[in-house]
Amino acid sequence: MKTIPPPCPEPESGPKYWRSLDQLADTPEFREWVEREFPSGASELTDPTTRRHFVKIMSASFLLAGLGLTGCRRPEERIMPHSKMPENQVHGVPQYFATAFPLRASATPLVVTSHDGRPTKIEGNDRHPDSNGATDQFAQASILNLYDPDRAISFRQGGHAKSREQALDMLTELAAKAAASQGQGLCFLLERSSSPTRERLQARLAQKLPQARWFVYEPVDFDIHRQAATLAFGQPVAPANKLDAAKVILSLDHDFIGAEEDSWLNVRRFAKGRKIHRPEDEMNRLYVVEALYSLTGANADHRLRVASGLVQAVAARLAMEVFKLTGKHAELANALAALAEPAKPWEKWIVEAAADLVKQGAGGLVMAGYRQPLAVHLLAHAMNSALGAVGRAVQLLPAPPPAGESLEKLAAELNAGKVDTLVIVGGNPAYNAPAAMEWPKLQAKAKAVIRLGYYEDETAEGCAWHLPMAHYLESWGDARTADGTLVPVQPLINPIFGGLTELEVLARIGGLAATRPYDLVRETFRELSGSAEENAWRKFLHDGFLAHSAAKPVAGQLQASAVASVLSEAKPVAAPGAQNLEVVFYRSYSTDDGRFNNNGWLQETPDPITKLTWDNAILLSPKTAQALNIGGLDEKAKGNKTEKGLFFNQVAALELNGRKLSGPVWIQPGMADFVVGLALGYGRTKTGRIGRLADGSPAGFNAYALKAGTEAHAQGARLTVLPGARRQLASTQEHGSMEGRPLIREANKEDFARTPTFARHMDLDSPAHTGHIANDAQGNPKPIYPRPQLNGMHQWGMVVDLTSCVGCTACMVACQSENNIPIVGKEQVAKGREMSWVRLDRYYAGTVEDPQIAYQPVFCLHCENAPCESVCPVNATVHDDEGLNLMTYNRCVGTRYCSNNCPYKVRRFNFFDYNRRPLDQLYRSPFSLNKDGQVEAVRWLKDPDKGTVPADQWDLLKLARNPDVTVRMRGVMEKCTYCLQRLEQAKIAKKVKARASGDVRLNERDGSVPKTACQQACPAEAITFGDIADPDSQVSKLKKLPHNYSLLGFLDTRPRTTYLARIRNPNPRMPDYDARRPHPQTLNEYISRHGSPLESHGAKGKKESVHPPKGAHQ
Amino acid sequence: MSDVFPKWTNRLPLYAATTAILFGGGLMAGFWYYFTPKYTRVGYQPIQPVAFSHATHAGQLGIDCRYCHTGVEKSWYSNLPASSTCMNCHNQVLKDDPRLALVRESAQTGTPIPWVQIHKLPDYVYFNHAAHVNRGVSCVSCHGQVQTMEEVFHAQPFSMTFCLDCHRNPAPNLRPLDKVTDLAWDPHQHLPAGWAEKAISDWKVKPSQHCSACHR
Repeated sequence: MKTIPPPCPEPESGPKYWRSLDQLADTPEFREWVEREFPSGASELTDPTTRRHFVKIMSASFLLAGLGLTGCRRPEERIMPHSKMPENQVHGVPQYFATAFPLRASATPLVVTSHDGRPTKIEGNDRHPDSNGATDQFAQASILNLYDPDRAISFRQGGHAKSREQALDMLTELAAKAAASQGQGLCFLLERSSSPTRERLQARLAQKLPQARWFVYEPVDFDIHRQAATLAFGQPVAPANKLDAAKVILSLDHDFIGAEEDSWLNVRRFAKGRKIHRPEDEMNRLYVVEALYSLTGANADHRLRVASGLVQAVAARLAMEVFKLTGKHAELANALAALAEPAKPWEKWIVEAAADLVKQGAGGLVMAGYRQPLAVHLLAHAMNSALGAVGRAVQLLPAPPPAGESLEKLAAELNAGKVDTLVIVGGNPAYNAPAAMEWPKLQAKAKAVIRLGYYEDETAEGCAWHLPMAHYLESWGDARTADGTLVPVQPLINPIFGGLTELEVLARIGGLAATRPYDLVRETFRELSGSAEENAWRKFLHDGFLAHSAAKPVAGQLQASAVASVLSEAKPVAAPGAQNLEVVFYRSYSTDDGRFNNNGWLQETPDPITKLTWDNAILLSPKTAQALNIGGLDEKAKGNKTEKGLFFNQVAALELNGRKLSGPVWIQPGMADFVVGLALGYGRTKTGRIGRLADGSPAGFNAYALKAGTEAHAQGARLTVLPGARRQLASTQEHGSMEGRPLIREANKEDFARTPTFARHMDLDSPAHTGHIANDAQGNPKPIYPRPQLNGMHQWGMVVDLTSCVGCTACMVACQSENNIPIVGKEQVAKGREMSWVRLDRYYAGTVEDPQIAYQPVFCLHCENAPCESVCPVNATVHDDEGLNLMTYNRCVGTRYCSNNCPYKVRRFNFFDYNRRPLDQLYRSPFSLNKDGQVEAVRWLKDPDKGTVPADQWDLLKLARNPDVTVRMRGVMEKCTYCLQRLEQAKIAKKVKARASGDVRLNERDGSVPKTACQQACPAEAITFGDIADPDSQVSKLKKLPHNYSLLGFLDTRPRTTYLARIRNPNPRMPDYDARRPHPQTLNEYISRHGSPLESHGAKGKKESVHPPKGAHQ
Repeated sequence: MSDVFPKWTNRLPLYAATTAILFGGGLMAGFWYYFTPKYTRVGYQPIQPVAFSHATHAGQLGIDCRYCHTGVEKSWYSNLPASSTCMNCHNQVLKDDPRLALVRESAQTGTPIPWVQIHKLPDYVYFNHAAHVNRGVSCVSCHGQVQTMEEVFHAQPFSMTFCLDCHRNPAPNLRPLDKVTDLAWDPHQHLPAGWAEKAISDWKVKPSQHCSACHR
């Protein structure tokens, strides 16, 4: 029997518990409802529709009553639960899936976090045998591409939107036509890929359509490594550089840290060989020969600036020396004398470097970069062979044959009119094909072009059909990582716009029975793993790799005759001059070859060397600029000059073999002279809202316009300044010098061994300088004002190892992804308002022509005596008992006093509502008129939540946000939080597991201490985070090291994030090692101003003490 | 000299000050009472689209909270059940009852039932159910005697003070883990004296009072 509760009684005292306003009003409707709902004795309503009808009336009356007290109540919100509970998913608990990010001929193994069925954060897969769980900035930012509102979403025929079915029908027709003609007139233009499924499909299609032609084109192509190794060793192999096995590394324009394939892998190996914790540890040594200042050059112990064309000469001279010292390959040495002639100026450098290489024997490694011609690669292989490094520091892995012919061959086919149907998968040849080809005209020569593309970009014009491509996070596929391990590409979300994958398109054109990518990938897995079992497949998807599928290295003997024949054809290149500049086209650290041009995170992440955002520039060395009178005479714009704090640079016209482009000039210290550096990937005409600036002009200029062929550098350019023309550049770091202050503390390895605590003697914070301050019980100087009680169970701290940090910016993008950090646009970056919580400081030290670079990532250091906390008028920033400096966004009123007081300037302020306003409409007031004629205030009143962002951007970018982190509004200060959301989740997870026990402490032994986003993304493992109250934790051990120091320690802020001083490993026999000033340049600068921390000073030392003797002050 | 101002203006400042104090105090008192969550939220009892009675299901029938609110032990979010959960019983019990029409329709078509949200914390507050339910805090501490509610109402103010009061002194709200969903169970009757203090010490219950506990 149903219990009938009595109608709500009127309580005698206390607050009234009312159910509705009408009860309060005791209206007749209410009384009627009460009687109907609970008539005594009745068990059912007589009128079934009454309740729903009543609800309608009540809600209507609520609306009317909205003018009254209900206006104070928060608006009624609804919860929409599922109608059927999904399995294995709990809202609020993220899921993790293993997948891989395929890029060209390799892949990065990933584990992607998924919230409610959509991916939100990318991490590396640390279970993969060749990964430490790190990623590079491209992998981290690739998730934003998934939610890019400018991606292709429609199936278009001649520009008109069609349905998916129509497009699939078209593919079926094409398949029938192709099958009938055996593929005659059918050409495929693909990108490079390591996918075994694509390889298998290609083989099947080649069988079914033998007349079809296959072409592969990458504007930035790393295939030369495979070509060179195959030629050098006479078998189809590609080199795999095991940098951790190398003791001395010599890079011939090989930017393995930033620009080569799988740079994150190289960084990991290099950092492993470089890590030095105890002074007696071994460290590798890096020699770099390059024209531009690259990330690899920034980490070099010795760096030689030569034009790219002259690297060949350096390599030849080096090879001569190495062959002489090792007594190997003498037959090759004879051919090299002529080639080595231009390298005379650098004789000593080369000879000593060679001696060092040979001394290491099998631990020496020579690598040639992708921009260098074949001859240089072969020389590198020959040297490695002579050193005995083949099989040790460099391994030869079997490499599959190239997937297709070159673009030149396709151009020939097109010109001959032999192409009926051209299927372009991915890529963007209309933008990045060699300029000499004039691709858009060439593409029109095919009778029909079908393109599968991620964006409707330059190549999409004139296509018969344009099909939207699915992102890799929406696709089934597979790939091989650098070591050959098979990895799955597993989708985390259904294709948001119904896009197609490459595999599906190829399968359909081939008329194959199985066209679902899932089936195709599974079939390949069956073949490769030899197992058709469900469990094997599931394990493959779960782990993210197929165990024991790595390629086995093969032994190889240098084919001296093949090498010699290539060398004999090589011609020495003349040195560039002021009227004969060398142009180097380099892969951008932000946009890659242009594929990430519309990615806001990457556009705003500053280039590690120039610190430019949203733009590329014509890079010149200071001497070149002087020779060309740039930065001298034009009064309006003098070189890198500021006006009202904004950078305006001269614009110059660069002409090469009849082709011209113009762009802003940037003077870059450390470049080779008479070399011009141009970053690829900018200046796109048909790109989305990110690749275009507020005024509609493209971000940067198009360097491909000058790139006539596939070579990455060319001679014979001329540069002329366009008088009066200037362009604003947004750089995040204008000041490049530390001015002798000990921000980054460096020493050579020998000095570190002699004086391990040198870093503690470089500022006033060392014990020697604080003798006049009273000490507390632990022997530390007493703080000068009351400190918060730090008695939490865990005490969080972090150590950043400056020797390991290579400056790759992976941490910056990872932090942006994890913490919902917005982008602000070029104009705001120029005003210093970039929002990134990590600031990667890049300092020059030494001469302007040939400086050294040092990197230091700075984020909130979570000072125990935080200067920001004491000045907040509303107490929005407070200290945690676990050592965190907290930021309570809802309390912040935007005084910015905290940022003012922060000595490290790590606090970022939301000057505008970057999430709800398009970046070109930030400066609007409530009285501004919108494009649709509405006044801003009126629009806001109608819907306060929406903002003025276009609807597609609003809907999609919401999905990219991490739901565990607040999205900040205008007027709120933010900063690094030590990934508080991860800490809290870890603590909660531990408590949930502990339940009725006391096992709630996070500790490293059971893996419950979380990693911060930056720590997890760093390939060099430079960042270590953990519990400093736990003496066995990694971070506690690092903090005890002698070269651990606090940044600006003399301010007594007691930061929880400390740094390990950088140790360099120079070779004393090198000519750039000055015995009188042998230290790293920053240390030389410091010593010239303050005296040497390597020798004792003060009362006992030789130098006159500037401090009063001990005991003079209390 | 004659008086410039009338005599009564001598008292004006006194009257003005008294009125201001009374008015200001009254205004403050009014705000303090009427505009704090204790008044505005407690008792909020919106009409739900389906007349689901917790008193019947949780009280009379004794169904455990977690039968429907499945995520409460795993996630920060305590979910409302899917319509399929209701249909587990109601495909037999009250099979054709018109009051369950919306539920049946939802289970069949997939359209969710638009329940009105009662307990809602601001977006800048990150509360986690699992951390509380698994550590001895019962549903009743925050949601009141739900098993007696015919129509659920907001029982506690959910102001920051309400959370902090317990974080400062969790003992009164702790109970053995197997009694967390037994809302009618009275800890004062059944627990020995000092049980809570012992639990706090054994389980290392130390709820954070720092901003980082709830605000990220």
